[in-house]
Amino acid sequence: MQDSQANTMKWRYFQQSLFFALFRAAALIITLALGGIIFYIIFHGISAISWDFITKHPTHSMTKGGIMPAILGTLYLTVGAISVGLPLGVASAIYLTEYAKQGRMIRLIRVGINCLAGVPSVVFGLFGLAFFVILFKFGSSILAGSLTLGFLILPTIIGASEEALKAVPQTFREASLALGVSKWQTIYRIVLPNALPGILTGSILGIGRAAGETAPIMFTAAAFFTSKLPSSIFDEVMALPYHIYVLATAGTNIEETRPIQYGTVLVLVALVLGINMVAILMRAYMRRNKRW
Amino acid sequence: MDANIIIKLKNVNFYYGDNRALTDITMNYRKNKVTALIGPSGCGKSTLLRLLNRMNDLIDGTRVEGEILYEDKNIYSPDLDPVEIRRKIGMVFQKPNPFPKTIYNNIAYGPKLNKVSSGNLDELVEQSLKQAVLWDEVKDILNQSAMNLSGGQQQRLCIARALAMKPDILLMDEPTSALDPISTAKIEELVEELKKIYTIIIVTHNMQQAARISDETAFFYLGNLIEYNKTDKIFTKPDVKQTEDYITGRFG
Repeated sequence: MQDSQANTMKWRYFQQSLFFALFRAAALIITLALGGIIFYIIFHGISAISWDFITKHPTHSMTKGGIMPAILGTLYLTVGAISVGLPLGVASAIYLTEYAKQGRMIRLIRVGINCLAGVPSVVFGLFGLAFFVILFKFGSSILAGSLTLGFLILPTIIGASEEALKAVPQTFREASLALGVSKWQTIYRIVLPNALPGILTGSILGIGRAAGETAPIMFTAAAFFTSKLPSSIFDEVMALPYHIYVLATAGTNIEETRPIQYGTVLVLVALVLGINMVAILMRAYMRRNKRW
Repeated sequence: MDANIIIKLKNVNFYYGDNRALTDITMNYRKNKVTALIGPSGCGKSTLLRLLNRMNDLIDGTRVEGEILYEDKNIYSPDLDPVEIRRKIGMVFQKPNPFPKTIYNNIAYGPKLNKVSSGNLDELVEQSLKQAVLWDEVKDILNQSAMNLSGGQQQRLCIARALAMKPDILLMDEPTSALDPISTAKIEELVEELKKIYTIIIVTHNMQQAARISDETAFFYLGNLIEYNKTDKIFTKPDVKQTEDYITGRFG
């Protein structure tokens, strides 16, 4: 009897260490994969990076020179996408969580938002082409690209904002309303400030997507090559993801431009990380003093 | 209406969906008195309290019948703004719920947004904190987060926050149930002090507390008002057997 009990204990401990080992391995594989990708990009791309590379225009049919217009273009498009997606997304989330009467209509809207999240990005590109570029006559431009990307990241921002708003304790709302403060003032003064860190998390994910997507800007904003920088939001721009696509597939000198491709990838990754870092720092700043 | 009566309930019924939570409640609350609402969990006493400042409006699918008169006006009449009512009828909740702001801003929040303070905001903050007997403990840390205060201090801060709106009535929903005995004693002393200026209606699970601090006590059971009388009478010679059983701890 004693023996069999000792055996079960042993078996249970074995099970436990087996599963913990599996979980540890899973976490390790992910870290390795990420590290591998970044190492690979840096290894191949670092030789292309120079001051000229990030400050000069491309030359010699884009086999030499820099990628400054593409960096600038991606920056414009990302900022544009956030300027469209964030206000619209946060406003929708506020409506859905704070004002709307929960019921069939709201469920339907939620299903719609989730479907939007599953739509392939190339479909967004075609939608942007048909709607903003042709119907609204924006042409292939920063404006059309920003709007398209803004809609692309909308579900991410709405989702994160809804979660963040719901995470604000109901007791805060009650305390504020009980003081004779109106519902909108309560949302603006109490709920939103406390939800902001969570909303920023959603925006960070959105920024990453907006900066990296190729298909949505292919038809709506990105130019193969422009000799001049954009002077208004109605101009076309070069953009990093599209530039990589072009160099890797469409050029006549694909092999020759290989280092530039990796260099461009490295710059794109660094840019996305940089923008994320700003958002993360903002979030950390807002989170201090916030605990309940 | 009797000048001493500040709130008058007439045949009030309240429903959560199809569930009737309060049945035909008729009662008057007297000015500058402490009225305790007692009864076992689920008897409707907190629901009743939250009817008085229309906090139940926040819950979908609720319905009120009957009249609740405050200064001769039905607070549920469509032309009365609940925001307006909540300015005059303040509330302190079961769990201390300060905002994640500084102590100063917790107090200044309501008056600032409602523009009630005609005079100096600093003075109002000081006065409110003094009324809640918290001033001496926090006067040097007004710019620190209210979240750093102890539970008992937080609850007195919440009382000060409600008082800063200069309400007529203070509703307290089990304000000491989350606090230790010393903090509880402080809040009870405070209530004693505050009833000189305000009308206080307090929900409590604690029989001794009701006996100690209230002038009048109402006993509820299953959504019905069973007995309502002077506290001395309720706790020494209740008219109804059910009340006696409850306060002597035979059920509840």
